[in-house]
Amino acid sequence: MSSWPQPTNDRRYSACHFCDTLHESLPVAEGKAAHCIRCGAVLYQNRRASLVRVTAFSLAALLLMVLVHVFPFLTMDAATLRRNLTLLGAATALMSENAQLLGVAIVLFTVLVPVLIISGMIYVCGPLMIGRSAPGARTVAKWMYRLEPWNMVEVFLLGVLVSLMKLAKVAEVHFGIGFWAFAGVMLCMATAVASIDRGELWDRLEVAKP
Amino acid sequence: MTPGHVKAADQNLACCSTCGRVAQVSLGRCPRCGTHLHLRKPASIQTTMALMAAAMALYIPSHLLPIMTVMELGEVTHNTIIGGMMSFWRSGAYPIAIVIFTASILIPLVKILALSWLCAAATGRVKPSPTMLGKIYWVTELLGRWSMVDIFVVGIMVSLMQLGNYMTITPGVGALAFAGVVVLTMFAALSFEPRLLWDRLDELPAVPLPTPIKPLS
Repeated sequence: MSSWPQPTNDRRYSACHFCDTLHESLPVAEGKAAHCIRCGAVLYQNRRASLVRVTAFSLAALLLMVLVHVFPFLTMDAATLRRNLTLLGAATALMSENAQLLGVAIVLFTVLVPVLIISGMIYVCGPLMIGRSAPGARTVAKWMYRLEPWNMVEVFLLGVLVSLMKLAKVAEVHFGIGFWAFAGVMLCMATAVASIDRGELWDRLEVAKP
Repeated sequence: MTPGHVKAADQNLACCSTCGRVAQVSLGRCPRCGTHLHLRKPASIQTTMALMAAAMALYIPSHLLPIMTVMELGEVTHNTIIGGMMSFWRSGAYPIAIVIFTASILIPLVKILALSWLCAAATGRVKPSPTMLGKIYWVTELLGRWSMVDIFVVGIMVSLMQLGNYMTITPGVGALAFAGVVVLTMFAALSFEPRLLWDRLDELPAVPLPTPIKPLS
């Protein structure tokens, strides 16, 4: 299988992001990667069916994200009282208890950043499948990569498990659909992000027709 | 510089930090995505060290101050991160105790130590062992976010435990300090410039190649 379409206006170089060694960019076959000749770090790689996979997994993640906000994560029964945990519920509880910054952090890291990354991937990679770039796609892609380290979906899931252990002593707790949907969001997002190499995405954006 | 390898910076070429495009640094902005071009991240070591100093300053109060306050049947107890971990350990929930210990105590400390060591290596104060440096930087970048787990636990507990007189949990100042530690160390890792480590290595005479040459596959 062949490489992705590359811009042909001048000789292409890549520099290793770790040791800064300059390489001439050569096309790599699907499923293969180019490594730095000096330090061995991966320069870029050609993922199989990258655009289709990114778009499909991002769409799945977006649908699951809706379920996350409709159904509770945990349901707790304690002394005739029943309480449900939702993502936004946890954030608003912190805000009403005078910890506004922590509430904002939860919304940011588990709702806003993931949703922005997911919709960004759909917006950028969907039109790229037919060789088009959506208006402002480069700006969207730029922010997508900048926000990536701040996506903490999987960390929140670990937090739910730890809370479950803490609560097991005082109450009866059940997993809700929201928990499983959020686990799905985590898996779909991880697969989507890993489906396309940064170099490929930007090369495709550069040659795409507006 | 090892013969046969040319550095992008020596040719006045900058690798865009956002899209990876290699372009003349004199252009100022990346021709593809518009990000500011630098040969190296500006004032990287100073920024990293400053952020880490702030993180270390917050690390101590984050473990001394309560992260949440539990009111159970009129009885008030203040919970710290270490206290929560100890109670899991005593009740026999060893896996959870180990998770909390790793995420909240070990990772921030290891991150602060590793980044200090990387900064020392980048300024030539310690002799770098290049095969390890890469792995250390990769680990610090990867692990940082997991420390947030305790903040999320506080959010979940506060949200669920609003049972009036029976049991009410309110967040404490320690949680805010700890969130500060996590965010600051994450920014510190992002502002570090790993290429400085290799620049330092090039200045040392007769350093063997760190890894065997791999052909482009």
